[in-house]
Amino acid sequence: MTAKTVRTILAIGIIAASVGLAAITYLLSFPDPDHSQRYLALQLEVTGSSNRVAGIYLNMRLFDTLLEILVFSVAVLGVRYYLSHASDVPTPSLSESGVVRIAVNFLGPLALLLSAFFALFGHLSPGGGFAAGVIAGSAMLYVAIAQGMEATEARLKPHRVATVEKAILLFVLCWVLLPVVLGRAPLTDLLPKGTAGQLMSGGSILPYNLLIGAKVFLGAWLIIAAFAQHRGEL
Amino acid sequence: MARWILLALLPVVAGISLAQSRRLAAIIGMGLFSLMLAATYLLMHAPDVAITEATIGAALVTAIYILAIRRTGRLTVVADEVPGLIAREGDHISGLEYEILAGFAKAQGLDLSIQFVPLRRVQWLVAHREADMGAGGIIPLPEADDVLATTPEHLPTGIYAFEPNAVRPSVAFAPDYEGYFSELVPRARDGTLASTVIALDLARVLAISRHGVSLKGLVRLEGNHAYAFILSRERTELRREYASYFERLRTSGQLEEMIGRHVQ
Repeated sequence: MTAKTVRTILAIGIIAASVGLAAITYLLSFPDPDHSQRYLALQLEVTGSSNRVAGIYLNMRLFDTLLEILVFSVAVLGVRYYLSHASDVPTPSLSESGVVRIAVNFLGPLALLLSAFFALFGHLSPGGGFAAGVIAGSAMLYVAIAQGMEATEARLKPHRVATVEKAILLFVLCWVLLPVVLGRAPLTDLLPKGTAGQLMSGGSILPYNLLIGAKVFLGAWLIIAAFAQHRGEL
Repeated sequence: MARWILLALLPVVAGISLAQSRRLAAIIGMGLFSLMLAATYLLMHAPDVAITEATIGAALVTAIYILAIRRTGRLTVVADEVPGLIAREGDHISGLEYEILAGFAKAQGLDLSIQFVPLRRVQWLVAHREADMGAGGIIPLPEADDVLATTPEHLPTGIYAFEPNAVRPSVAFAPDYEGYFSELVPRARDGTLASTVIALDLARVLAISRHGVSLKGLVRLEGNHAYAFILSRERTELRREYASYFERLRTSGQLEEMIGRHVQ
């Protein structure tokens, strides 16, 4: 079977699967639509966050989010552990074209600004820590591609970044368990809810967004740095 | 309505991306798919999911895929300029070697990236696997190199030197000089060429002569020599693929046509 035939079969398969999935989604209704409605009705009162999504995943379903953070931490650890056995590859000295460098110099700071906005206002408008971290990580990846790994690593040294990344995880774990010390249930929000719509509102959602944003950013950077050091991908 | 149009287009874009033979085009198609999906989420009143899809699918994953194909999806060739073989003309590159390499890259489904570097840097970059191939009027000498291999020869030429004995037996490739070819003409005018050049080739000698500069004392070395490309000995698959492409080029008569177009 030629490569073209395989590609054609795959293309037809994907189209057929997409149409099938769309049909199933359309024909089936959700098992319990009232359940989600109850969450939405209670959300503002319980969390104080005007972004309902952030209110649910950083307060009402914080345990799920905590596990997601742990999964990401394990992924970072795994990449660093397995690549640490690989030999170092010299950093390529052929630089990118001027167009790429200028575009990255212009877009990089804008992406970092957008990332900061998403982390700071994630409890008020769409966004949040995960999206903020991924944007900042992508921005650093583009900067590393354009300006070279050595110059970028000089600004964000991987061994220091790894320490901060682990410290953030430890801080988040301590923060969610602190209520136990105070005689309350774990994961209880200790910060005041404030007035919905204000920057200082939503209890712990704002600090969580900032911490998750920083953690995802630093974790993404560690993965990129590990690939560059041991695989010479940049 | 717009949501349904986008939903209908998603499998079409996915299919088109999958059918692309150029990897970069396929990745751009995947990025477009993610952006359309993000727009669909937005129209379904799920802006948080839309942002996540756009940041991960369109930005991060696209960048990681581009990194992954950076070495595999691109044929990186380093060369010093030689008029007639590989040289910049305005905003494009032309020459016999360029045409051969462009045809090879196209046949392999790769994007050709040419980087002009000083002559002595060409061998270093290819030997350290930072570039796939080295070009720019390189002549293999009988002494084999431990790290670098050569492709089949594509054009007969000659080697010239001010001091024929200076082209040492240990040197595996000619020509040999400091810096870029473009710096040779001013040096020839100043009369300092002989101090920085160990060996030159016919194409470079002709190109310098066209500037009306005298090249007194330059002697043609004995023997039959020809141009070839260099690549790492470890790149056996690339060598094999190039050899098979070159054989097709030679037997079909296309090589003769190319030589006729570029070499007078």
